[in-house]
Amino acid sequence: MKQRILIASALILGVLLVWLAFFWQPPATDTANRASNDTPGSHAPSLPPGGDFSLQGPQGPLSLADYRGRIVLVYFGYTFCPDVCPTALSAMGQAFSMLTPEEQAGVAGVFVSVDPERDTTDVLKAYAPFFHPQIVGVTGSVDDIARVARQYGVRYMKQKADDGKPYSVDHTSFTYVIDASGKLIAQLPHGSPPQAIIDMIRTLRK
Amino acid sequence: MRRVLIGLSLLLCATLPPTTYADDGIAVQDPYVRLVPPGAPTTGAFMVISNSSAADRKLIRAASPAAKTVELHTHLNENGVMKMRPVPDIEIKAGGRTELKPGSYHVMLIDMTKPLQEGDEVPIDLTFDDGSTQHIAAPVRRIQSAPAMPAAAHGGMKH
Repeated sequence: MKQRILIASALILGVLLVWLAFFWQPPATDTANRASNDTPGSHAPSLPPGGDFSLQGPQGPLSLADYRGRIVLVYFGYTFCPDVCPTALSAMGQAFSMLTPEEQAGVAGVFVSVDPERDTTDVLKAYAPFFHPQIVGVTGSVDDIARVARQYGVRYMKQKADDGKPYSVDHTSFTYVIDASGKLIAQLPHGSPPQAIIDMIRTLRK
Repeated sequence: MRRVLIGLSLLLCATLPPTTYADDGIAVQDPYVRLVPPGAPTTGAFMVISNSSAADRKLIRAASPAAKTVELHTHLNENGVMKMRPVPDIEIKAGGRTELKPGSYHVMLIDMTKPLQEGDEVPIDLTFDDGSTQHIAAPVRRIQSAPAMPAAAHGGMKH
């Protein structure tokens, strides 16, 4: 009996290996390479490369580079999101409003839509500042969004919906922390309290 | 006339106390609806449902005049990917309680019939598997993810 289990396990492992060898393509190889080329010890090795992007903001094109000199928090989500995105954006907004005015002047929030079909710049203009006036919503073409999401290791997937009902979008929920030089420093997990965000901002300002 | 009737029934619902008890042992506590930004088409209603009866109970349906579609949903976190999925029911064990809360079970309001303002009361009918129904009025609240620190803790903070 034991032997049979062993043989079965070996077979399954074998099939898996063959599948891996022939069909598996490591996602975003460039991501892994670039991350490992970074200065050692600057952040966890699993951090995605991040980097600059240009998308459409409320007043036209908006680039991450426009915020050079400020600490930027970037969150990827969509406005049809009833719970996860508002939770993350509330924490960001709350953190911003708990900063001193001087600290506030040195931060910005960017909400990147992973639902460019529905989230137009007008929709985002009404949505993002609700959480804090210093949070802007940006969108772009399906391809542009996919590229920025890849840079930041964001995964998202539009779900099928019953006819007539709005679809939902599965997505990762991290808050990305970008330092004054435009470098991705950390990704805060979903549910990070405002105080954790504040601590991160204050550490970076030192 | 119909509008007047709907209005009256809404008003009636709104005057109900936030906690309603029924003979079947189901009690709904602290219901609220998340305030969402202007133009956001969806939101969630949250609450604690307790079941003091000796039988397991299931919430099988929710309805509200505040939205075109009302569904029972949950969130799954699979390797960091947040997935929202409809569920057929939400169970409340005999003698137990089930929390509908952010990141977990919620009553999803889809395509709100009018924008919700902070302090509005959203009437919701909850139907259980024994055929009983609870009418609740869930106030619209701005949800803070954690209690804000007292202003005194930040010397430089001014409003």
